[in-house]
Amino acid sequence: MAKTYDCLFKLLLIGDSGVGKTSILFRFSEDAFNISFISTIGIDFKIRTIDLDGKKVKLQIWDTAGQERFRTITTAYYRGSMGIMLVYDVTNEKSFENIKNWIRNIEENASADVEKMILGNKCDLDSKRQVSKERGEQLAIEYQIKFVETSAKDSLNVEYAFFTLARDIKAKMEKKQEASNPTRGSGAHQLRANEQQRRPTSWLSRCSLL
Amino acid sequence: MSEPEVNTNEEKKGTSDFVEDGKNKMVIKCKYCLSKILEKKTAVYVEQEKELPLMFQGIDRKQGEIKKEMLNEYYHVDNMYIFENIGFTHQVDNYKYLTCADCEAGPVGYYDLDSKHSYIALSRIEHS
Ligand SMILES: Nc1nc2c(ncn2[C@@H]2O[C@H](COP(=O)(O)OP(=O)(O)OP(=O)(O)O)[C@@H](O)[C@H]2O)c(=O)[nH]1
Ligand SMILES: [Mg+2]
Ligand SMILES: [Zn+2]
Repeated sequence: MAKTYDCLFKLLLIGDSGVGKTSILFRFSEDAFNISFISTIGIDFKIRTIDLDGKKVKLQIWDTAGQERFRTITTAYYRGSMGIMLVYDVTNEKSFENIKNWIRNIEENASADVEKMILGNKCDLDSKRQVSKERGEQLAIEYQIKFVETSAKDSLNVEYAFFTLARDIKAKMEKKQEASNPTRGSGAHQLRANEQQRRPTSWLSRCSLL
Repeated sequence: MSEPEVNTNEEKKGTSDFVEDGKNKMVIKCKYCLSKILEKKTAVYVEQEKELPLMFQGIDRKQGEIKKEMLNEYYHVDNMYIFENIGFTHQVDNYKYLTCADCEAGPVGYYDLDSKHSYIALSRIEHS
């Protein structure tokens, strides 16, 4: 069968318990399906297909349970993940402080070049806010990671966050590919069909093998 | 319109409207929100007797009771990355149930952890 996509990225959502990871990935569920069979067992991961600058990209997005705490999330958990969403709750100071611990955990356990993004979730709850947007931005600058405030409740910036992370992973792959093919210019990934066959290590074929 | 006579008694309950060359002729979508689940011609039509939990269990049921129904028409997908958009539940026995990725309606089918194959029930989805 013809391959139905160009790239496959595995993404993880990480952060303290209650910050809204499940709500970001899954639906903010306050509807009829709450009494369904599905809501009683819960969802493990989703596959989503997006169009990223003309490429068909599949995202496999995994939820994690925050109460396991950063100490017990190990290498096995991070295996193969190419992008991580670090989530805190803007109404919970502690969850913000713990982002540093999560980053340390990622550095110790995940692949060194995993792409990261920080999400300050529940920004709809302005009256209960404990962490200003500026502090979120400052932290992101400190670690050189992208940052955005989200609301899973209002679906604010959630899609934007996934597109941004996916785009950064793709850009990193293209850059790596160029580095390993120094004779090629910036159009390195636009190989013609016959060239692609001769070059099984091109990032396009490589990332679709995952 | 005049139907060719040859295939009339071979037809099975209208599936010919949906199945061509043994595959899904149309795009498969969620019944409730029309989120795209499978592209055309990416899944193989199979007949098998297999029970699925009901999408709506109702509020009157007893604790721990799961209402099911027997279904016999499915689409078979041998690689999960063929799906456009889909949700996988946590494991129950040797299965993960499949849901709409957008509204989480489900189960629309199941994933078998032994074979790593997925099956979508025709009666739980929309053809378009
Ligand atoms: N107002 C508001 N509430 C939210 C938002 N996101 C999540 N919540 C609520 O916060 C609570 C916790 O959300 P979850 O998605 O379960 O949190 P989690 O990060 O998955 O927590 P664990 O699974 O325990 O790690 C729920 O009651 C959600 O309804 C948001 O953007 N705004
Ligand atoms: Mg959760
Ligand atoms: Zn749906």
